[in-house]
Amino acid sequence: MKSNLLVLVIISVVFFSCERDDICAESTPTTPQLIITFYDINNQDEPKAARQLEIIGLDDDDNPLATPIFPRTTTDSIAIPLRFQEENQQTVSRFELLLNADFDNDDETTSPNADKITITYSPEFVYVSRACGYKSVFYLDDNIPFSRDGEEQGDDNTWIRSFEINNQTVTNENEAHIFIYH
Amino acid sequence: MRTKHIFLFIISMIIVLLLPLATHAQIGDTEKPVDTLVYKQKYGLRLGGDLGKIGRSIVDKDYTGFEINGDYRLTKSLYIAGELGTEERRIATDFLDITATGSYFKAGIDRNTYTNWLDMQNMIYTGFRVGVSTFSQTRNQFTVYNTEQYWSDQFTDSTPQEFKGLSAIWGELIIGLKAELLTNLYAGLNIQIKAMISQDQPDGFENLYVPGFNRTFDSGRFGLGFGYTLSYLIPIYKKDKKVAVKTSEE
Repeated sequence: MKSNLLVLVIISVVFFSCERDDICAESTPTTPQLIITFYDINNQDEPKAARQLEIIGLDDDDNPLATPIFPRTTTDSIAIPLRFQEENQQTVSRFELLLNADFDNDDETTSPNADKITITYSPEFVYVSRACGYKSVFYLDDNIPFSRDGEEQGDDNTWIRSFEINNQTVTNENEAHIFIYH
Repeated sequence: MRTKHIFLFIISMIIVLLLPLATHAQIGDTEKPVDTLVYKQKYGLRLGGDLGKIGRSIVDKDYTGFEINGDYRLTKSLYIAGELGTEERRIATDFLDITATGSYFKAGIDRNTYTNWLDMQNMIYTGFRVGVSTFSQTRNQFTVYNTEQYWSDQFTDSTPQEFKGLSAIWGELIIGLKAELLTNLYAGLNIQIKAMISQDQPDGFENLYVPGFNRTFDSGRFGLGFGYTLSYLIPIYKKDKKVAVKTSEE
């Protein structure tokens, strides 16, 4: 009897001390970012890094935000955050992808090349857990999920040639959602 | 949180300190009775309330609770016991803010494991309960959890949404003590270890607090509760208790 009671008391003390539920663990997947990977336009199975790429978000008036999403880097895949407000409302994020960001602006043959892209999607809020609350997942728009400003928008020197939607729903960061060919 | 741990420590200490008394008293049972004494034992209905819940309702603005409890003595050591209560609890974090409201009923058996001296009628008991609760949970507000805050506008939805008609059923192990302070007036402490059997989860959400069960844990179906009770015994009839009297060997 005595030992039974003691075991119960010890179990309850140990159990009550565990409060790990109250902290949202970093390993818990919450709101995902959009993953874009870069491929060679001439050899479409071959990843091709974008040289010295700098990405910056554009606000509602198409002005670049104060800081880039990450410092300039040569990479073949990027993760970019999508903005959202109301659930199930069509939302747009615009980014400027600056290639060869380290080049000198004065030299015409080797100058940075900025392409502006538009991602269109609807956010949906999904319950995660007590500590993390809700996350947002994104459904890329059925009609025009992705577009790049071209000559109509006044950019006659684009480096993004083509794109492909690999995954219409942005629910995790395990694989690329969009391929960009350049 | 700190005060809860202190309470828990005090309860544990009381139980641990009282245990040798219980085991000591049992040694007498194995010895040969030479003579017996007879004491009158009161049998009846004991009714009371949970002081802990009332106290917490006053102190904690996020909590309102009330519980009445009762037990009825069946045999020397067995009691039918039950609790009836109502609770409202708000749980708010940076990302989620909910209020659960509802009432609950628990019923089960308590078994007194303490052998009383003379005509005393104190209890150190273990028992079990089956609990049911009907409740509703309102999501007052939530902020979408986003580790990347590049766009700097954290989205918060503050439109309350109520999830009605929820219910839960669970089992409990209970250990505690009841001591007679004044004639027929008892004070008690108990710890309940709970295991959820089944519950209605709101669509696309989950129960964070179940009245009677208390908060739920992500890590499993277990829960924990405490009771600080004050109750009054309404004696209905008396029964004899025979006690063996030990004689010394010399």
